[in-house]
Amino acid sequence: MHRQRDLFRLKLILAVIATLFAVAASCCLGSSNVTLGEVIKYFSGMKDELSPTVVTIIGRVRVPRVFTAALCGGALASVGCVMQGLFRNPMADPSVLGISSGSALGAAIAIVSGLNIVIIGEGFTGSYIGAIIGAAVTWMMVFLIARSSGEYDTSSTLLAGIAISSIMSAFITVLMTLHMDSMERVYMWMLGTFSSSTVAKMQVLAVVVGICVPLLIWISPRIDVLKLGKEAALSLGVNQSRTLGITLCLASVLLAFCVANSGIIGFVGLIIPHIVAFFRVYKARQKLLMCFFVGAFFMVICDSVAKTIVAPGEMAIGAITSLIGAPYFLWLLAISRIRAGRKGEKL
Amino acid sequence: MSLGPLKADKITVTYGKRIVLDSFSHTFEPGKIHCILGPNGCGKTTLVKSLVARYAASGDISYVPQNVYGNVALSVYDTVALGRYDKSRFFTGLTPDDRALVDKAISDMELEALSDRIFDTLSGGEKQRCMTARALAQDTSWTVLDEPSSSLDIRHNQLTMRKLVDLRDNEGKSFIIVLHDINTAVRFADSFILMKGGKLVCVKDSLDTEVLSDVFESPFEMITATEGASFFCPL
Repeated sequence: MHRQRDLFRLKLILAVIATLFAVAASCCLGSSNVTLGEVIKYFSGMKDELSPTVVTIIGRVRVPRVFTAALCGGALASVGCVMQGLFRNPMADPSVLGISSGSALGAAIAIVSGLNIVIIGEGFTGSYIGAIIGAAVTWMMVFLIARSSGEYDTSSTLLAGIAISSIMSAFITVLMTLHMDSMERVYMWMLGTFSSSTVAKMQVLAVVVGICVPLLIWISPRIDVLKLGKEAALSLGVNQSRTLGITLCLASVLLAFCVANSGIIGFVGLIIPHIVAFFRVYKARQKLLMCFFVGAFFMVICDSVAKTIVAPGEMAIGAITSLIGAPYFLWLLAISRIRAGRKGEKL
Repeated sequence: MSLGPLKADKITVTYGKRIVLDSFSHTFEPGKIHCILGPNGCGKTTLVKSLVARYAASGDISYVPQNVYGNVALSVYDTVALGRYDKSRFFTGLTPDDRALVDKAISDMELEALSDRIFDTLSGGEKQRCMTARALAQDTSWTVLDEPSSSLDIRHNQLTMRKLVDLRDNEGKSFIIVLHDINTAVRFADSFILMKGGKLVCVKDSLDTEVLSDVFESPFEMITATEGASFFCPL
């Protein structure tokens, strides 16, 4: 049977190379000059040939920031990919279940009440704990409501999430109005930035991503099976409630750590899965892998722009992701519609 | 493991206070095409769903849902290949055996030309054929089909039904099929399960105007063709 060749491996290799290149290039950008050669020497273990200042700059400033951006981008895109698949809804994204707002509220409470100064472990501040508690509370609320009929139902889960999300956002607004003094800090943090990345924070995030993303990759083929409907999935040994529960739990953990680390960065989780789909990667596992790398690549690029465009100042990363991502997405959308129109296919 | 007969013993399903299925009991014998007939909302879909749920753990029953879902976002080939999903394997790639079954299901449902199309861009009837192919690729001894031909053209309706007959005769497979077209049912099914208001009315090996008129609350006339086949015409 004649079928189009599956070029997935090639696409994945290209995405990985692009990500590595973006990471290396972004390590060169910043207030002091570091060359690409020095970065390559740093990563290939030839640190002795570099001056101590350069080693410190790369190791303490550039690497944490760039890797945190890459990990966050990859995690957010993976979560978006999983959510869109699970809910069979192209508009689902990480913020839709209210978990981003919930963890933002938790972190905002920590910042306002001064708990963020409390350091539990290196890189593990009070705002982290606040964000994780916030995410957990939101997650439980969404699921208690969605499960009240005894079965998960995707549309009521989505609706419950949207409603809870707006409650959480409202609480943040109330909190900011009542505490005008810390408003700027909360607001800047909510807009999202990677400028306060440290080695310890990066390590915490790397561990979380290193556990959750492989588990998501393991479970992802079930997302495709669930698209056949509850009973047909059951006949293939896939239990809908269990799969939804496990997957959303993993996604929430990832999301909580991303928000705690760098605030709410919108749009990445929504747009990256669609961009990946334009490159004809559809199967859940392949799509998730691609999303992780494309998301990482995209976030590193956006962060590079954010730290250079108004140097020595910082632009909020959320603005950059939308300003770069949205036009590119619209362009892809227009192109694909024109192509489909020529072929006489409907989209 | 091959499932023997499917037993429904006093299945009752309620949604809140509404009784959708009222102590339904029947044994579906293997090696036959069982056809479930009845008016809208009489519990046919609820019945087949609960049968599938009851026997799903055996891994020997497949199901074609009535609803055709949106946003599947997979190619036709990959959708059919989902029938070969095995959660005990980490690598979900297809073995040569799997590939053979998927190819067979695709050619049985005449989907070759569509195999690279994205499922969501198909027409309603093409989606139904794809879903039927997906269930056939599962290669189970029982297949439950909930209105698999409601959007099919005449040719593909005949093709699907002939395929089921062929699988029954040559591979000893068994089918439970929900249909609205009485004449398709008469032509291809071995056993008729008639339902009304969540209850089993009767099980028959051949239909007559009396029972049809009673179940559907609409008069029927039987026409016998010159070849001896009978047709039912609603009046």
